[in-house]
Formats: sequence, C-alpha cells, structure tokens
Amino acid sequence: MVKIWLASIACFVEKYNFTDPKEAMALQNFKIAAEKMGHEFNFMFRENLLEIPKYDAVFIRATTDPLYTAYIVSKTAWELGLKVVDDPKSIQICGNKIHLYELFEKYNVPYIPTIFLNKDELHHKRILDVFRIFGRPVVVKAPYTSFSRYVEKVACETSFREVAKRFFRKSDVLVVQKFMPTTFDWRVGVLNGEVLYVCKYMVPKGRWKHGAKRRGKPSFVWGRTISLKRENAPAKLKETALKACELVGHGLYGVDIKEINGDYIVVEVNDNPSIYAGYEDFRNRDIYSKIIAYLTD
Amino acid sequence: MTVAIPCIQSSGVTLVLVVSNIDLTTDLPIMKPSTFLESSIKDFTLNINNDYRYLKAGYYVSLHAEILGNQVIPSSENIIDAYRTPILLLRASKAGIPTMPYLVTDSVKQIISEFNFPVVIFAVNPFSYNGFKTAKNRSALYRALKSLGMNYKFDVCAQPLKGEMISLKSIFGRCELNRDASKISKRVYEVFKIPICKLHIQRIEGKAYLCGLQPLKNEEISLHDLKMISEEISQISKNGENLVG
Repeated sequence: MVKIWLASIACFVEKYNFTDPKEAMALQNFKIAAEKMGHEFNFMFRENLLEIPKYDAVFIRATTDPLYTAYIVSKTAWELGLKVVDDPKSIQICGNKIHLYELFEKYNVPYIPTIFLNKDELHHKRILDVFRIFGRPVVVKAPYTSFSRYVEKVACETSFREVAKRFFRKSDVLVVQKFMPTTFDWRVGVLNGEVLYVCKYMVPKGRWKHGAKRRGKPSFVWGRTISLKRENAPAKLKETALKACELVGHGLYGVDIKEINGDYIVVEVNDNPSIYAGYEDFRNRDIYSKIIAYLTD
Repeated sequence: MTVAIPCIQSSGVTLVLVVSNIDLTTDLPIMKPSTFLESSIKDFTLNINNDYRYLKAGYYVSLHAEILGNQVIPSSENIIDAYRTPILLLRASKAGIPTMPYLVTDSVKQIISEFNFPVVIFAVNPFSYNGFKTAKNRSALYRALKSLGMNYKFDVCAQPLKGEMISLKSIFGRCELNRDASKISKRVYEVFKIPICKLHIQRIEGKAYLCGLQPLKNEEISLHDLKMISEEISQISKNGENLVG
C-alpha cells in the first residue's frame, strides 16, 4: 500500500554532512521526527535539484552562502512558493557579517566593538589607528566566515597586513573587532522568534575560539558543547538572542553571545546553525519535531 | 564619519546621490564608493559600477544605502540574484523574458541525459565570473565542468546550445543590437535594475533568449558608453522616484 504523507520535505545536504557521525545521526533524527509526524522526508543532493518543485518544503543543512549551491536551492524554493529554511534573505544577511553588524548598529543590538576596513584603508596610519582604538591583539574577520574559519587574531602590523590581504582577495570590505577572550560563547538556537535550545560552546584550552585549526594541519580542534535546558538559561541572554534574530527574519538561527561582566554581547547570528546529536539536542530533545512542525506549518 | 552631501536638487523633489567607481562625463557631483561607505547620507542612491559582484565594492554600496534606509539602484538582493545564473534565469522566465531550459549540476552524465550536444556551460561558483564555455562532445563537456566547476567541486549551469551565442553591453537596459536582443536587455533592466552589465544571449532562428549576466571590465566601457551612462543619470536625476520600480 502506498503511504499518503501529509507534507513532503526535501532536506538539501552535501556528502560532507554525513562525515561526522553526530551530524549524520541528527539528520536521521530529523527524518524519524518527520515520519512520526506523518511527513515524507527525503535527502536531496546536488544531482536532484530538478526535484525541488515536487516538495512542499525545503530544509537546508548544507553550508549556506549567497555564492554556494545552497543559495540557489533556497531562492529557487522561495520563488516557487515553498516553505524554506534557510530562506534566501536570512542567507544574504547572515552570510555577510558586514550586513549583520550594520543592522546591529542601526537597531542598537549590543555587539562586539567593530570597525569595517575597506581595501583603500590598508595602510600604516589606519592600522595603527585600529590598534590604538582596540588595543592588541585585534580580530580580523572575513565577512563570509563560518565554522570559525577566516577569523584570525593579529597583534602586529605585519600579521595584520598578511591576513587582511588574504581576506581582501574575495571581499572588498573586512571586519576588525576588539579581542574579547572568554572561556565559552553562549549559543542560543532560535526558531521563528522562540528559543529552541541553549548551549555553551567551550573554547579549547590554550585557544581563543570554539573551533581552532591544528598547527600545521588542515583539521580543527573543537571545544566541548555543554547543553542547558532552555528554561534554565538566563532570561537576559535569551532576550538578547531574540532581539538580534528579529533583525534577520523568522527562520532558524544560532546566535553566538559573549557574557562579559554580566552583560551579553552578540558575536554573530548564524543561519544554518550546527545541530549535532548529543550536543545541541542533549537537553532539548524536541528540537527536531519543532523544526519539522515549522517547516510544515 | 559623515561626509558633505553631494546631491542635486532636481526640478522635482528627488535628490539623487550618484556613487560611482567610473569616471563619468557628467556635471553631476559623484561620490567614490569608499567615501560613501563611510558616510550616512540619506538620499535616493544611484550606484554606478562596472562590477556589482557579491562582496565587491559595488555590492557594499547598495547594501550600505539600504541599511541607511535609502532607495537604491540596484538593490543588494537583485545584485546577488542577477549574477547567479540559475536564479537570473528563474526570475527572468517568471517575468516573461525568453530563457533556455537549464540544469544545475556537477555531473556530466546528468547533463548528457537532459540535453543533446552542443551545450553551453556557465560557472556557479564563488570565483569564476567571466564568460562561459561551450561543449560539442563528452570530452569537451568534462573539460568545461572540470574548469568551471573547479575540479568538480562546484556546480555549473548547463543550457542547450541551439543557436548562436552573443554577448552585449547593457547600459541601463539599452544595447545596440537588433530588436529582440534590445527587448531582452530592456526587460532584464526592468526586473533586476543592474545599470551596467554584460548580457549573454542565444539567438535561435532570429529569436533571442537570455543565457547569463556578468560584470563588464572597466576597459570594456567606451566613451560612447560613458556618454550614455551620463545621459541616463541626468534622466534619473529628473525622474528618479519613478524609476526605482
């Protein structure tokens, strides 16, 4: 007998989404949750993009960026009137940190002290100016950063120039931020204006960010993830996360927040946040069903 | 830092701020993109650039204008969409612009199963933005995908090649080719509002089909084009609010 599904969801993934067993398990959990709720849930790879119109909703788990295939999937689904997470506007805003910080500035969201640097400004006087304002070291960030990549700490003019030149190859404007080390960053998962999960992303010993490249190797070392029940997380933290997400949209986001002297300072809002079985879902088991319900609403 | 406002008061009420990286032959005050990016001028913004690609200065000018709350030509969303060939074709076809069928894939096998040779291939990756490749057989198709897909890492956008490919300069939707191509150029401008670009069009039995849109190199802009750009800017400064769409 042919099963009649309530709705049909395509989950756009790439092969790398299945290399980490915890991520592969989370993807399976989405499938199980969807099917339990009476919905069809199929993994869609690059070679199946022609099938987008036959679905009711598209859930993107492959890395998003306006220049990647994921944006084409998102925009195509959006133009065809499908429900889509991540929607193209969220990808456009979160995929570019300049866009994000300009919005934070305009709407008074507390965020890390930031300067934008364009190509013409990469000169001795301006670099000294940056060090004078923020002290040393500073953090240089490419606007297209994701998963802790393209974010580097520099303490002298030579390293500043070297990193900036590398990032300027792709973007004409860069982000320079005050270095604010903490032992962990809060990660607040938000869906449609509600807190979905809360975690602490710990910084590995001797490093300064959650994911740090191993010296001389292409691989990364990641800090631990400590999950909290969302109702036990500080109210002010959740409020700050929701305020930041409001500027982006009503989709699924992961907000990184630093806690400094009792204040909550937004590092960034990410679309397409990581969901690994046993990490983000550890204290909030319902995240899979909530996301599926949102997609099929 | 706030910079003095180089806007003009036209015959109506519209104030137009022209931000350009091109040396224009106009009497209107022009602001450089880097200066505009540090300003907080609130005016209707006309962003004139030979290259509006995502992450380049032309993109950031439109983005900054939007954050300031300005009406701007072109919008940052249109910039992203127009330069992503599959989205360009999808939105163009929804707007009634003739396009060819297309396939987004990294697989030679899939292209062969969908289309007959020859095919035309556009890059869909963050790095290639100039031109396209045509493939008349399987080995040429492998070469095209290897090159434009950067060793099969990224997808490409494949379209059947049934006629002749033509590339033309489009300045505010104006181009100097036959009626069909001009019509496409005008319609693409109406939909995406990209003031300066190169359009790739396929002409099949006298009919034109949109295939792709790419940036113009600075050296491709002639004196005649500069004159045309300046005329259009003057026109918009008079009727700006009606042209934002």
